[in-house]
Amino acid sequence: MLTDFGRVLAFFLVGVLFVGVVLLLARLIRPHHPYEAKNRPYECGEEPIGEPWVKFNIRFYVVALIFLIFDVEVVFLFPWATVFAQLGWFAFLEMMVFIGILLVGLAYVWVKGDLEWDKPQPRLPHLERPQPVAHTAVGAREEVTV
Amino acid sequence: MMLESIQTSLSLFQPEIVLCATVLAAILVDLIFRRRPVIVAGTVIAGLIVTAVLVGAEVGVRARIFSGMYVLDPFAHFFKFVILGSALLIVLFSLASKELKTAPKRLGEYYMLLASMTLGMVLMTGASNLLMMYLALELTSISSYIVTGFTREARDSSEASLKYVIYGAVSSGLMLYGFSILFGLTGTLGIYELNQSLLSMPSINWTALLIAGVLALAGFGYKISAVPFHFWTPDVYQGAPVTITAFLSVASKAGGFAMLMRFLKVTFIDLASSTQLASGIWAMMQGINWPLLLAVVSVATMVVGNFVAIWQDNLKRLLAYSSIAHAGYMLMGLVVMSNQGFAAVLIYFVAYLFMNLGAFYVVMLVANETGSESIEEYRGLGYRTPLVGVSMAIFLFSLTGIPPTFGFIGKLYLFAALVNQQWIWLAIVGVLNSVVSLYYYMRIVRNMFLKEVDGRKPLVPISIPVPSAVLLIFLVIPTLGLFLYFGPLVDVAQAAVSMFGF
Repeated sequence: MLTDFGRVLAFFLVGVLFVGVVLLLARLIRPHHPYEAKNRPYECGEEPIGEPWVKFNIRFYVVALIFLIFDVEVVFLFPWATVFAQLGWFAFLEMMVFIGILLVGLAYVWVKGDLEWDKPQPRLPHLERPQPVAHTAVGAREEVTV
Repeated sequence: MMLESIQTSLSLFQPEIVLCATVLAAILVDLIFRRRPVIVAGTVIAGLIVTAVLVGAEVGVRARIFSGMYVLDPFAHFFKFVILGSALLIVLFSLASKELKTAPKRLGEYYMLLASMTLGMVLMTGASNLLMMYLALELTSISSYIVTGFTREARDSSEASLKYVIYGAVSSGLMLYGFSILFGLTGTLGIYELNQSLLSMPSINWTALLIAGVLALAGFGYKISAVPFHFWTPDVYQGAPVTITAFLSVASKAGGFAMLMRFLKVTFIDLASSTQLASGIWAMMQGINWPLLLAVVSVATMVVGNFVAIWQDNLKRLLAYSSIAHAGYMLMGLVVMSNQGFAAVLIYFVAYLFMNLGAFYVVMLVANETGSESIEEYRGLGYRTPLVGVSMAIFLFSLTGIPPTFGFIGKLYLFAALVNQQWIWLAIVGVLNSVVSLYYYMRIVRNMFLKEVDGRKPLVPISIPVPSAVLLIFLVIPTLGLFLYFGPLVDVAQAAVSMFGF
């Protein structure tokens, strides 16, 4: 008879076996035509530009953290919602306290300005003289449409 | 039925709820009254006082609440008072600190984090489930990582914070691994159930249990900075603001010790064959030689702490090593595995609270004026500002354990407990270590009183505002006074240990 951890081991082994078998099967069945474009990183059909190891804005990290907190809140809300009817007002109050605590967090994040996405203001290269060519081109098109 | 048990649990959980509310209130107050951190500090002080009053109202109650997650007993109450008391003192220290004023924008958050650290430590004292222990430990740790790097403009502060995070992550990982092995062996996480499960097992895999025990010890050892889990201590203590260093060295250690003591006493005690339980000496389970293991850790902690402290010129770093050494002394009380030993640790903690916080307070007052913690700044301090010099000397005498101070009583009880249980060699090692510690503590006293003052420079006194002076005297009084009148405290400590559990 399997113990509890024996079952975990069996689960693990079946998992490894499954992946192995499927990969092997695919290797036997699939056509084999390697060419260079297939080895490129997939970027939604675009031509890849530059290295994938670029610096991400640190703000993504903050947003991810905030998201995580409120996402986990929902994880707690679901089981509560299923038994809420039997537990009554006490459970309702408890959950309100929990959400209230998280709301304090939201207020904190809001006041501290972490919900604002301050855009960088890039210094655009300044052109000395206007480009008459483009201007006339627009004007010409207007005449045509009118 | 479940609902009723939650409701009764909540009514016994009032102090912690108030502390929770304090943390939230501190956040909101900081958001509403921006740039006025004094109001936040006031909120935290009020919250801590109310919490302490509620803990006081609970004294004598013994219960196990939240399905065995948390225990109320005199032992936990004793430690809660130590932790709340030191938290209160630290908030008062912080109000006088100039170092913290360099970041006025974030100072409100600092007080909020102090409150949340305190909450974690309070939860550590009563946790009776491995998961609860881990959560309480992490709550304390994560808050302390942030406050350690509070003065982030200072380079060593950021460095300290990062080192603390990395070290904390590793040791809490080790501890979790140990817990998971314990869970695998017994199928339970409650420490009382663990004990029953281990006792009722026909055969135990002792190797696995030993590994689990040692791994769990790594987590606790990190919190109390016992060798070989102490490497973070000097850097963190030096880099953190003085107030946080003081708080970590006393309250965080108290929480760690409370948790370790409860874990050891409840989980590994052999109730079945323990005929001597009434006499206050416990039979530990066969298999792991806990006393010897702890004795080795204790000796290593004392020796490393004391011998490295000799070479330090920065007082914060010196006191960091001294606090490692003190963790070693207190571990000796655990080695004997008796009520007497545990009571000695509790008494020692009260002494340690006053003398160590006092010493750090003096370091802070001097650093406020001079901006440095170097031992050179203390030259002639006894003549320049006698109040500070004499107070510091008293705290240092107490840390060494020289008679007219409470530190002596603490050490006396520890050594008495050791000798009673025939741990003579350990007692001798402890005494020899105290002699070593005398050297570096007296080096400071010598600098303050005996070293020749440079005649060309005028003697500049350090200006101490009246509230700071009052607080300093308030710390000196128990350090001296409890030497004369320690009876009631000893009774309370012994009662707290004998009424362990629910």
